[in-house]
Amino acid sequence: MSATELVTVTVDGREVHVPPGTGLVETALAAGVEIPVFCYEPRLGAAVGACRMCLCEIEGMPKLQAACTLTATNGMIVRTAQTSERAAEGQEATLEFILVNHPLDCPVCDKGGECPLQDLTFRWGPGNTRMTFPKRTFEKPIPISPAIALDRERCILCYRCTRFSESVAEDGQLVALNRGAESVIATFEDEPYLAPFSGNVIELCPVGALTSTQYRFEARPWEIQNVPTVCGLCPVGCNIQATTREGKVKRILSRNHPEVDEGWLCDKGRFAFTHLRARDRIADPLRRVRRRGFDVLSWDDALGEAAELLMQAQGRIVTALSGSETVEQAYALGRLMRAGLGAHTGVLPEETSPALDAFRLPLSAIRDAELEPVAERAPIVELWVKAARRQGAQVEQAGDALEGCRRLADKRNALGKSLRESERAILIWSGEEGAGGAHLAALAKELGFAGKPASGAFHLPCTPNGRGIADAWAAASDDEGPNPEPIGLLFVSGDEAAADPNVRALAERAERVIVNAMFQGLAVGWADLVLPGTSYLERDGTYVNLEGRLQRLRRAVIPPAPDELAWISKLAERFAVEVSPHASAVFAEVSERIYDGLPFGEVGEEAPLRTRSEAPAPQLPSEPAAEGKGLRLVRYRPLFSGPAVERVPELQFQRPAPEVELSPGDAGRRGIAPGETVTVTHNGTSLQLRARITKSLREGIVRIAAEHAGELGGTVEVAK
Amino acid sequence: MARGNPIDSVKGFGVTFKQIFKKPITQQYPEYKRPVYPRFRGRHRLHVHENGLEKCVGCSLCAAACPADCIRVVAAENTADNRVSAGERYARIYEINMSRCIFCGYCELACPFDAITLGNEYEISEYSRDDLIYTKDMLLAEPIKKVPVADRDLYDTPIPYYQEHS
Repeated sequence: MSATELVTVTVDGREVHVPPGTGLVETALAAGVEIPVFCYEPRLGAAVGACRMCLCEIEGMPKLQAACTLTATNGMIVRTAQTSERAAEGQEATLEFILVNHPLDCPVCDKGGECPLQDLTFRWGPGNTRMTFPKRTFEKPIPISPAIALDRERCILCYRCTRFSESVAEDGQLVALNRGAESVIATFEDEPYLAPFSGNVIELCPVGALTSTQYRFEARPWEIQNVPTVCGLCPVGCNIQATTREGKVKRILSRNHPEVDEGWLCDKGRFAFTHLRARDRIADPLRRVRRRGFDVLSWDDALGEAAELLMQAQGRIVTALSGSETVEQAYALGRLMRAGLGAHTGVLPEETSPALDAFRLPLSAIRDAELEPVAERAPIVELWVKAARRQGAQVEQAGDALEGCRRLADKRNALGKSLRESERAILIWSGEEGAGGAHLAALAKELGFAGKPASGAFHLPCTPNGRGIADAWAAASDDEGPNPEPIGLLFVSGDEAAADPNVRALAERAERVIVNAMFQGLAVGWADLVLPGTSYLERDGTYVNLEGRLQRLRRAVIPPAPDELAWISKLAERFAVEVSPHASAVFAEVSERIYDGLPFGEVGEEAPLRTRSEAPAPQLPSEPAAEGKGLRLVRYRPLFSGPAVERVPELQFQRPAPEVELSPGDAGRRGIAPGETVTVTHNGTSLQLRARITKSLREGIVRIAAEHAGELGGTVEVAK
Repeated sequence: MARGNPIDSVKGFGVTFKQIFKKPITQQYPEYKRPVYPRFRGRHRLHVHENGLEKCVGCSLCAAACPADCIRVVAAENTADNRVSAGERYARIYEINMSRCIFCGYCELACPFDAITLGNEYEISEYSRDDLIYTKDMLLAEPIKKVPVADRDLYDTPIPYYQEHS
């Protein structure tokens, strides 16, 4: 940027040059001067100047001004509290006023010790109070949702939470009730705050007014350690801090990665960590014993047993992966199975396609795009799409994805045409029929995105590390082998695989089954040998997110059982394969093969996105033939589902209701009203579900959450 | 070898010799317990309000102040059926590891509710280190052994006691 585009501002006698439009708080920061704030948060949209903490004297203006609401203009002379007595007096008065009704229950308050109000009062406030009257009291704490508690006495009405609800998550459920001194924060109509991103208000609150019920009275800031890691519950891979105390995870905080999550987290990522302490967590290896159920084994015995089972299968082994393994774990398993036992058959949780690497972009590019056809949603991606819409981007629902692709590729289509013309267009696809993004890559190629660095495509997979494990499994060996028939041994790695009906069906055909899972509910009953699993918070390693960004997982807590890498390495030893039990060493090997020798240490805390690479031409699978008449059923995996969410009481209310979503047309033709109980039939099996009318759904399609869809599939008929 | 004046040696032995005729000041400790200084910092005590509720709210400020890191507090929430302290939270677990404690009294200074104070009890040796971890019940209870404490008035004089008596 040339100097002519900068404006000169004097803050406390120091001159700075900043681009016009920069907020005064940032301008002062550039000059090395701190202006204290409570309500100011650039991520929440326009500043409101509600707290008055940022009062400054500005030459030419008679009264003190709220610095957060002003932007830098040329020749502006700003005097903050550090040089201006009037500003200092104003700030002190503001703090005294805020504290008039703020209870001094810091020893009890969860925010105590990490509270901006404490810090700023200590640094800028009056040393004493002149208030002698009793303070205002409210009923407290009010549970505004099972995960969030509201304490109105502590609230300083900065409106951060309501602004988040209104203009970031756009759910509009958190509102300010009443006026003036009577204002309080409340949920709309006192309904519970049911939204996928509600937990972010806890982190935004500058006082202890909104607190997490899970973290309530659990730890104080000086007793905790924060471990920087990455969320492993969905393919976005938000950067998180795991707060631990005494060897237990107590809460999850966001760790702002401006290209991935911008500091927001979904409630699943924030609250689901208590599944680590689920009641049916497996801590010891278990062996099935006839008529007696299960016996607890020592690790030595378990490894012996596992080795024997692997031997007996004579290479007729199928490995089912779950998509939540780390790259290292999948590679180590691949080495054991493929190099050690010659069992090359792996069941991957979903298709992945490397073709999209040519259209790689950071997620933040979605916000800056001007045109984006969206097939469906994933947690944080949804916030980025909302941000794009607020900035004036045209967001189009393409409806049925395959059909939509064909439509967009057509040059005569208006949207298809503008997609070709736009420099900043982004395609987003989620749903299970995308062939791992191959369709999307083909479309992007046809639209000419390869030459446009600001245009790209995102395919939203279902599993957190589907892409990573597919690559790692492929890299483990260069040989190929036939699919075994009959299957001698099925090795199930991870809980998602253990919960997958397809894997269960495979197990019916397998002679023996080894399951590696965290929860008893998923492992007991069909496995001959159960090896305890670990969670993403208990592992070291790397994940590949949906952008193709390689991110580092760090172990936050010690798992109740040795982690997978440890015993895979021991098992591999018995089959003369060398696999290190340390993630760093395994990664060095994987990296050699698929990540251009990237060192483990360089997968830093804020991982960069790898550059676009030349990708092979997308291989399109043959399209499924249209089946008979009736409505096509789309089974989808909702955000709040899966083994982890099922074990977190605070998230139960977020789980999908047993509903079938219909388009208004289909519902009208069948005379179905919203909320009615309908019967969904397919091939003689039927299910009773509640009907919901979804306007954005195209005709001919119904949607049911996978956990409620039972054995339904293909085409269904819906009747009252 | 340094050569000194032989007279000096004699002088030195003279001092030793004089002590032989003085009454010994040895105190037969277990039989006789010398009253401790009124502000002597011994074993901790946790206090309760007059209505029986604990003063401690489990804020962990004592643990933060502790230079020996010997205090462990795990808090929980008061409920209507289980009201332990006066505030919203209470200390579900309050432990002091006496084998680590250096009796500096910082916990007492840090406590916003005067819930913890250092008492006068100093006879706290045990045969096992585990027994030196004092739980909340032990800290709330009156100490079993009583330690004689010197008269406060003796010490709250304009001229300190040690200046007058030495």
